[in-house]
Amino acid sequence: MQRRFIQIAGIIWTLVYAGIIVWIYATEPRSFKEVAANSQVAAGIYEINQEKFNNGLALFRRDQFRAARDEWAGADPAQKDPRTQFYIAYACYREGWGRLYYDEALFKQGLEAVTRAINLAPNGMLTVDDPNLQMHTAAELKTELEQGIERGWKDLNPLKLFRQRK
Amino acid sequence: MKNYPARNRALLHFIVLPTILLTVGLLGGLRIDAQTRQFIFVAPPLVTLVLAILLGSLFVRAGAIDLHHWLNIEQPTLTNLSHLLTLVALFFASAQAFNSVLPESGLLHWLFSFFFLWTLWTNQFSAFDARRLMKSLVVLFSTAFVLKHLLVSGLYAPEGGWLRRIASALLQGIAIDVPAFAPSTGYISFFALTLYVAGLLLIAPVPVQPGGSLTNTPAVREGALAESSDQTIE
Repeated sequence: MQRRFIQIAGIIWTLVYAGIIVWIYATEPRSFKEVAANSQVAAGIYEINQEKFNNGLALFRRDQFRAARDEWAGADPAQKDPRTQFYIAYACYREGWGRLYYDEALFKQGLEAVTRAINLAPNGMLTVDDPNLQMHTAAELKTELEQGIERGWKDLNPLKLFRQRK
Repeated sequence: MKNYPARNRALLHFIVLPTILLTVGLLGGLRIDAQTRQFIFVAPPLVTLVLAILLGSLFVRAGAIDLHHWLNIEQPTLTNLSHLLTLVALFFASAQAFNSVLPESGLLHWLFSFFFLWTLWTNQFSAFDARRLMKSLVVLFSTAFVLKHLLVSGLYAPEGGWLRRIASALLQGIAIDVPAFAPSTGYISFFALTLYVAGLLLIAPVPVQPGGSLTNTPAVREGALAESSDQTIE
């Protein structure tokens, strides 16, 4: 009886442990902190650090985009909150925007973040009601970032100089 | 009276052994980035799975694992399931042990893979017993560990000395492409390999029987990895 109990416990333990290993290799956490964050996501108890998020928002409104992104990265270490990822993408857009040219690396980074936001949002639709922003949906932001990365004849249009940052 | 030996043997066989093997599976692919100190998980490349199959075949040939006793139609389903899980864990532990000592990319990856394949393939046709196989594996993994984590990583370390200059001169024009990992990667690999060897020592050719003792079969008497037998399988 005892042997049977140990056998069942062994089978359950082996399956659980193997599952954990597969999950670790699938999520590829970069630190123990990320392991903890990913575990919270898997358990459905993940929440962003609201204080860091608000700090990031304050920095964003003062046009300190890089610092804002750092704060938001700390607020959402598992990159699982669509709203935070939307703001990170927006910060990349605003910092990378230029009257003559766009910073391609930042736009690509922004595109990755906004794609994450869309994938995380229910039904893939995300709207952020922030009066300080000119683009309120993730779809708009994604289009803007994609157009910034694309190269074409329209880049030579001199009227480009008069466009406005959103 | 409590039967402690039987209970401990069952614990060792059904819980400790799979745990050790799965831990090797976890640590075998873990690297630490030299600059950021972040974890990098390297999934086992295809070649390590081939190597693990060859090694598994060697285990069976050398009598280190008697498959007829591990998986048998006359055993209870639970026992067969438990044994199957342990064998699968052994397979992935072997793959990850190879992954741990294989350079991640470039020419050295293919050179190491070729030498592993060559060694395991030629061993398939050699006379082996479990004890000799164990010695051979310890030497194989130790050599690969020293080559990868001491020699190659030392040669291509950013602060490498005259050895690095000689290697650069000798191998000029050849893309060696050795990724830079933190020294702790070597410690993790060492720990994983030690666990792997410990796991192999715990594997009995014939698993624990319901009575709590090992069956007194020729395979048990002659084939145990930990036993000191110099007999060869003819």
